[in-house]
Amino acid sequence: MSVNNGNSETMLKMVGIHKWFGKVHVLQGIDFEVNKAEAVGLVGDNGAGKSTLIKVVSGYHRANRGKIFFEGQEVKINSTKDARALGLETVYQEQALAPHLSIARNIFMGREPSRSMGFIAKKVMNKESMGALTSIGLHLRSPDVPVSTLSGGERQGVAIARAIHFEAKLVILDEPTIALSVKEVHEVLDFVRELKNKGIAVIFITHNLHHIFSIADRIAVIAHGKLLASIQTKETSVDDVSKIIVRGTLGDGD
Amino acid sequence: MNTEKKLIDNIMQFRNLGVLAILVVLIVMVTIFSPGHNFIRAANIRSLLSLGSEFTIICLGVGLLMIAGEFDLSVGSVLAFCSLIFTWTLELNIHPFWGTLITLACGSLVGMIHGIITVKAKIVSFVTTLGGMMFWRGLALILSGGAMRSAETAEFPVFYSIAVGKVGNFFPAQCIWFLIFAVVLGFILHKHRFGNWIYSTGDNVLAARSMCINTDMVKIMCFIIVSIFCAFTGVIQTTRLVAFSSRVGTGWELRAIAAAVVGGTSLRGGRGSMAGIFLGALIIMIIENAMVLARLPYEWTYMFFGLVIMFSMLLDLFIERLVQRAG
Amino acid sequence: MQGKRYRYIQWDAHSSPIAFIVAVLIFAIFTPNHLFIDPRNLGSLAKLTPDIGIVALGIGILMICGEFDLSIASVLPFCSYIFTMFFKAGLNPFAGLLLLLPIGAVFGLLNGIIVVGTGLPSFIITLSMMMFWRGLLYGISRMMPISILSYVSKHPGFEKMLTGQLGPIPMQIIWFLGFAVVLGFMLHRNKFGNWIYATGSNPQAARAMGISIGLVKTICYMIIGALCAFASVMQSVRLGSFAATQGIGFELKAIAAVVVGGTSLRGGVGRMLGICLGVFIIQIVENGLILMQVPVFGVETFIGVAVVVFVILNTAVRRRVARESD
Repeated sequence: MSVNNGNSETMLKMVGIHKWFGKVHVLQGIDFEVNKAEAVGLVGDNGAGKSTLIKVVSGYHRANRGKIFFEGQEVKINSTKDARALGLETVYQEQALAPHLSIARNIFMGREPSRSMGFIAKKVMNKESMGALTSIGLHLRSPDVPVSTLSGGERQGVAIARAIHFEAKLVILDEPTIALSVKEVHEVLDFVRELKNKGIAVIFITHNLHHIFSIADRIAVIAHGKLLASIQTKETSVDDVSKIIVRGTLGDGD
Repeated sequence: MNTEKKLIDNIMQFRNLGVLAILVVLIVMVTIFSPGHNFIRAANIRSLLSLGSEFTIICLGVGLLMIAGEFDLSVGSVLAFCSLIFTWTLELNIHPFWGTLITLACGSLVGMIHGIITVKAKIVSFVTTLGGMMFWRGLALILSGGAMRSAETAEFPVFYSIAVGKVGNFFPAQCIWFLIFAVVLGFILHKHRFGNWIYSTGDNVLAARSMCINTDMVKIMCFIIVSIFCAFTGVIQTTRLVAFSSRVGTGWELRAIAAAVVGGTSLRGGRGSMAGIFLGALIIMIIENAMVLARLPYEWTYMFFGLVIMFSMLLDLFIERLVQRAG
Repeated sequence: MQGKRYRYIQWDAHSSPIAFIVAVLIFAIFTPNHLFIDPRNLGSLAKLTPDIGIVALGIGILMICGEFDLSIASVLPFCSYIFTMFFKAGLNPFAGLLLLLPIGAVFGLLNGIIVVGTGLPSFIITLSMMMFWRGLLYGISRMMPISILSYVSKHPGFEKMLTGQLGPIPMQIIWFLGFAVVLGFMLHRNKFGNWIYATGSNPQAARAMGISIGLVKTICYMIIGALCAFASVMQSVRLGSFAATQGIGFELKAIAAVVVGGTSLRGGVGRMLGICLGVFIIQIVENGLILMQVPVFGVETFIGVAVVVFVILNTAVRRRVARESD
């Protein structure tokens, strides 16, 4: 039941991906693709394999079997470095930011702009941080404040701005709206829309179908390590998708 | 409301100012209350600066490692072990300059061992270094038979004056070394990208890793830095004492942690500053000196440092909760 | 391409009986004149071991629920001091012991409250507490030992209860086994024991199940405190005096014993049998090395290495078996 959006090119294509953890067969030959400037919502019940799939894409885990194609070329993603080099950025749930570090130091974590001998070019770092933030519409006081002083929505904004700044072609968001207030959820969804406006593909995992429906172009349902369904958002409804998830999880039908 | 926000933004500077204030108050109080105002006498200050600096150099390393999120309880024992190595090189008639390099190399090896065990075998650093504390001291005791050995460097006046001589007829060289290390480490921590990696690793190791920072390497480097500092201190202390004693450094680990904690370093990692550690080390050093001057029995110092650590920890916790509520 | 299954010698609580037997055999054979198995040596070993053994039981339980307690090295002598003061005040020792147990528990309560309340690393908190109590005790007692022989001799029943013999077996061992059995039941058969394991292996899940992990941890700390109190009295009666140096080094030895017995530093793993055997193994090794005339510092060195090595064994093997086939 795979529907491809014929207009844009395929950004990421995963074919027949298998992943075992010891004896547990988490991903069972899953096929998955994302197109340019497309936002795909990845849904499915707990244990379906969403997190693992994401981690394979981001290089945190290595697939045991299967092929990955990025922008038409076959690639091997063996580490997070490989993924980043390709332009795949991930915004993890608990792992995105260091709470006591400043916004600027977080944005440039691991990629600090430096002059001779590795000393940080602070003015450049601050200026580009503010630039990255405003480009997604996030207006903050100063790049030197620790991120723990920001609201949940603003923090997600910083993580997303970081992904954009480093010219991600595909951004993966792991539960970006969890534990956020209604207002913050809207902020985050706005940021995600900015990503799409810039032509960046987005995958995001969520349990909240309503959030998905407001920005996803397509919804992919995963169950038991396989792709169960891939439907255009406008052709379905929250209820329909819920039913598919439940059915898939209970094993009724494929 | 704006000043509150400014304070929160600059919480580290705020904390450091607080530590500075405590230091100043402490100096004033000790000057006033020490018997015969002995604290302020030149002889005491000179001895404080020379002995105290040996301890404070180690604090710099311990604090740095704490910012990276790990602990080293073996510093006193590594000090003893490296002191023995240096003494041996002198007995073998090796020029103390080379002897120092050899000792520093041994120190870095020790640090590497601690780091690799902690990081690769995934053992909590306090257990690794608690074991190290027993091991290195035990090794020093076994190899030296528990006896003291003499460590003469008088034939090497240049070396002697670089290590423990006097600058401007008053400032002991140890003090200058301490300042040099503090400044260098401060630059690395606050202005260099490696410093950002240290902070990131300590604050959120998962975030650091997902940003492709090699957190294992960062931690191992910090372990190496601590042990090198222990080795360096071993060299200059042995030079000053003109002897090796297997009892050196006992109890230093807790005091070093106290210094770091008083200076605003978080026990959970990711927070602290070189200036704070610097000031915290001075505070601990002066407190100890004050207790000696007041002829308080040595045992009270244990109690005191336990209290100091607890108090600083609780204070930091309190400040953090305040910041969270306001931010 | 299935994940490879690794078969390594699994070092955990199931292997400690083997280690125990090996240790006994090695020292039985290699000590000069087989001194190790001389009944007098075994007897004295049996009398010494429970001093730390009883406390180690509590340490092991605490480690299973995921925390550490280094303060035992100072709480033990402190309790001994308090008990000595009770004697001096003319208090009946039975009453004194009964009174001391809750006092020990209060030491533990203090640890628990601070650890749970602040959420800061327990080893630093208890390390600081250890320093604090040690300093306070040294100051108050001026480091002078206080003989309690005269008091103890007035209560032979009390003395016999703690340090007498039941046939060939010293009472200390009986007490140790008694505590081990009771705590073992609590750990392995009781609901609370299950809470301890849950708190240690997955605190979030435990909380979600309605377990108050703060309460669990605090109670474990209090158990340790009470055990310290008991052990301190037992030790003092055997030594015939209070000494401020009682208990020095116990904190590392207890960790070593618990780790050798297969308890994980990370929590959630450990068994009472393993803890007991670990205690004996560490004590046997210490005793054996001394008999083989290894210098005293050598023993400490060995314990330091032993802790690290055994933890590596425990964790490395467990991880290998559960490893992802990356």
